Amino acid sequence: MRRLLIVGLLLGLGFATTSCIRVKPWERELLGRRDMAWEPDGLEAKRDSHIYSSKEASMPSGGGGGGGCGCN
Amino acid sequence: MVSRSRRGFAFGLAILAILTTLAANVASTLEAGDRAPVFSAPSLDGNGTIELGEFRGKVVYVDFWASWCPPCLVAIPEIEALRREFPKDRFQILAVNLDQKQSKALRFLSKNPVGYPSLSDPKGRLPEQFGLETMPTSYLIDQAGIIRYVHRGFRRGDSSKLRLEIRKLLGPN
Repeated sequence: MRRLLIVGLLLGLGFATTSCIRVKPWERELLGRRDMAWEPDGLEAKRDSHIYSSKEASMPSGGGGGGGCGCN
Repeated sequence: MVSRSRRGFAFGLAILAILTTLAANVASTLEAGDRAPVFSAPSLDGNGTIELGEFRGKVVYVDFWASWCPPCLVAIPEIEALRREFPKDRFQILAVNLDQKQSKALRFLSKNPVGYPSLSDPKGRLPEQFGLETMPTSYLIDQAGIIRYVHRGFRRGDSSKLRLEIRKLLGPN
C-alpha cells in the first residue's frame, strides 16, 4: 500500500513538473511589453497608492508615513 | 491488485518524466575558458549565411540582442564605437538578433545603422548553444576560438571594460 502511495506521488510530481518550463531570456519579447507589467506606469501606481492610503487613513502596505489628509 | 511489474513500470515512468523535465530546464552556460560553439546562421539583411569560423584568427565579439530589449539598444552605439576603434583585420563584431519578427530589428537598424553584420536567429538556436542567462549577453572570443570574457547585461559606459578586455586579447601590436 505504501509503495503504491509512493508511486502515485512520484507520478503526480512527474506530471506536475511537466508544466515547469522556464521562459528563456530571449523568449521574453511579449512578457517584456509595457502593457504586460503589473504596474505599467510607476508614477500613476504611486499616486494611486497614495490616494488609497489617504482614504483608508492607515499606513499603506508599501511603506511611508502620513494618512488621513492625503497631503504628505 | 496492481502487479509488481506494473508498479515497477509506473515507478520508472515517473522517474523518467521528472528527469526529462529537469534536463529540459537545465542548459549548460558557457563561461570564459570554454570553446565557443562553431555556428552559422542567415544574415539579418538576407545576404547569405555567416559562420563564426570565417573569423578564425581574429578577436570576435559576439553580441546577442533584440529590438525589444532596452539595454541591448544602449549597447549598440557603444559597440559600434568599439568597431571603429580597433583594426578591422584583427577585430570583428558579430551580432545575433533574436527578434521573432526580423522587420522590427531591421527597422531599428535603419534608424541606427551599424557597420558590423547581424545574424538572425528567431528560434533561439544559438543562445541555447551558448546557454544565455540574460539579455543582452556578449562573448569575447580569442583568435583560437576560446571564450575569454562574458559580459552580461549592459549599462551606459560598460564599453570601457570591454575595451580593456579587447586590448588584452589583441596584444601590443
